[in-house]
Amino acid sequence: MVLATIFESGVGIKFYMLLATALFVIGAFGVIYRKNAIILLMCIELMLNAANLLLVAFSTYFGKADGQLFVFFIMVVAAAEATVGLSILVLVFRNARSVDIRLFNKLKD
Amino acid sequence: MDALIVIFVSGLISIFAAFAKKPSVVLLGASGGLMLAIGLWINQMVTGQSLVNINYEGLEFDPFSLMFSLALSVFSLLIISVGYERFKEEPDHTGEYIGLLLFSLCGAVIMTAFTDMFMFFLGLEILSIPIYVMAGSRKHDLRSNEASLKYFLMGAFATGLLLFGIAWVYGATESFTIEGIAAAVANPEVAGNPILLVGILLILSSFVFKVGAAPFHFWSPDVYDGAPHAVTGFMASVVKMAAFAAFLKLFAGSFGSSDLRDFWAPALAILAVITLFVGNLSALRQVRLKRLLAFSSITHVGYTLLVILSNHGLSAFDLWFYMTAYGFSIIAIITVGLVVNDAEDRIEALRGLGKRNPLLAIVAVVSILSLAGIPPTAGFFGKYMVFSHAWNDWWWLVIIALINSAISIYYYLRMLGTVISVDETPGEKIKVSPLTTVVLLICLIGMLGLGAAVPFF
Repeated sequence: MVLATIFESGVGIKFYMLLATALFVIGAFGVIYRKNAIILLMCIELMLNAANLLLVAFSTYFGKADGQLFVFFIMVVAAAEATVGLSILVLVFRNARSVDIRLFNKLKD
Repeated sequence: MDALIVIFVSGLISIFAAFAKKPSVVLLGASGGLMLAIGLWINQMVTGQSLVNINYEGLEFDPFSLMFSLALSVFSLLIISVGYERFKEEPDHTGEYIGLLLFSLCGAVIMTAFTDMFMFFLGLEILSIPIYVMAGSRKHDLRSNEASLKYFLMGAFATGLLLFGIAWVYGATESFTIEGIAAAVANPEVAGNPILLVGILLILSSFVFKVGAAPFHFWSPDVYDGAPHAVTGFMASVVKMAAFAAFLKLFAGSFGSSDLRDFWAPALAILAVITLFVGNLSALRQVRLKRLLAFSSITHVGYTLLVILSNHGLSAFDLWFYMTAYGFSIIAIITVGLVVNDAEDRIEALRGLGKRNPLLAIVAVVSILSLAGIPPTAGFFGKYMVFSHAWNDWWWLVIIALINSAISIYYYLRMLGTVISVDETPGEKIKVSPLTTVVLLICLIGMLGLGAAVPFF
């Protein structure tokens, strides 16, 4: 019950909401503006973790466990997704010798 | 539930049967499992209870999810049979391709049957992750790699949006179940909470991503173009149908109260208008088959959004009929494209098809008519039902959709003209394997039979 005492210490739910939103926005902007596919992957993980943080904060705030359960599901799925994503990146790097997404415009015409 | 387990187990069997290095064993296992699953779905629809009673509160197989699951299983069976011709060229990997498609189908079935956000999220991911891999299954083809990478990045981004949306909705309603959320938003204080509205918008945009509607449609032409034919067919029929079923279930079930509907429906209506015009106008100048089909599928998503928007008792059936008609048509035309097997995938390669193989030409003509929505094909009846039921609430949107139907006739008829035109230098005859012939005939029966069956529904 460490998290419960965090709320008692005076850090209100809205600070968690602000922090999670900030993380999410950083991640989303990273996905839009960065060009390296590995950085993109990291930014997507940041977005997922923002959602995790928000869920845990709400879950503790309501005194219910289901939000924290959901976080476990998200972690497992994020790990599976990162595995698939990294293997796709390895495949791409073998053929193109780069992970710069600006190079991938063969399908555009 | 028992049919879901059968599908999962047959996916596992497919993967292990690949060790025998005999593609036919894999196909036999997978299609046998799918046929058993189809039988179990039909049995549950008719008798009202499953053969083996396994209950889990997160999944509820009501008539809604049963009719969608049945169509999804049939489409997967067709696509596995079609794709087998390509898959068996690599005997070592046949089992993996077919197994991944079956796992993805499990996710699709879960997405029609979920009762809470846990199962919805898991179903979405089980549906998506195998498809990321499948899109890149031609490992040495850079275009296939590119499709896979694009689909993965876009899909993962959409997942991030969805999860953040779910977190906000949880914060506003303290619940993950569809019923719990619906009960919480009945309270006007909760329904007006900005946290809830932010969450709904995020979930909405992730759905718009998944179904491939504008302005989040950029991935779909590239991915459809780069992925192998069978995977493109799977994405266009199964993935789209499952995403729309979940879309309808969530937005009619949880966020369907009239004041919330007033909040998200105008936003979705504007997206539908953009989707229709973007899809149609981009499709006009396409020369590659799969790319044209991708833009035409964007337009079809625009029509289908009308079902989500219009609030009436028949929306589930309308959606089912429209997506089933569309699924049969797109599988048929993709099969034709796969059999013709043009390296550049040009529409021009279909020229003089009637001389080269009459059956292919007939199927191509019927499926193009069905996509364009011309009677007596199933596509026409689907469109008619969607438009007529949406007319009361959204008459201006129906008018825009009708204008777009007229525009789309142009490129469908151009394609039709290519198929039935006489080639001066007749190409060589095309041979169709027995398995593909069966698939083509089933699609033909589906496209014509669904239309004829309308009076009996």
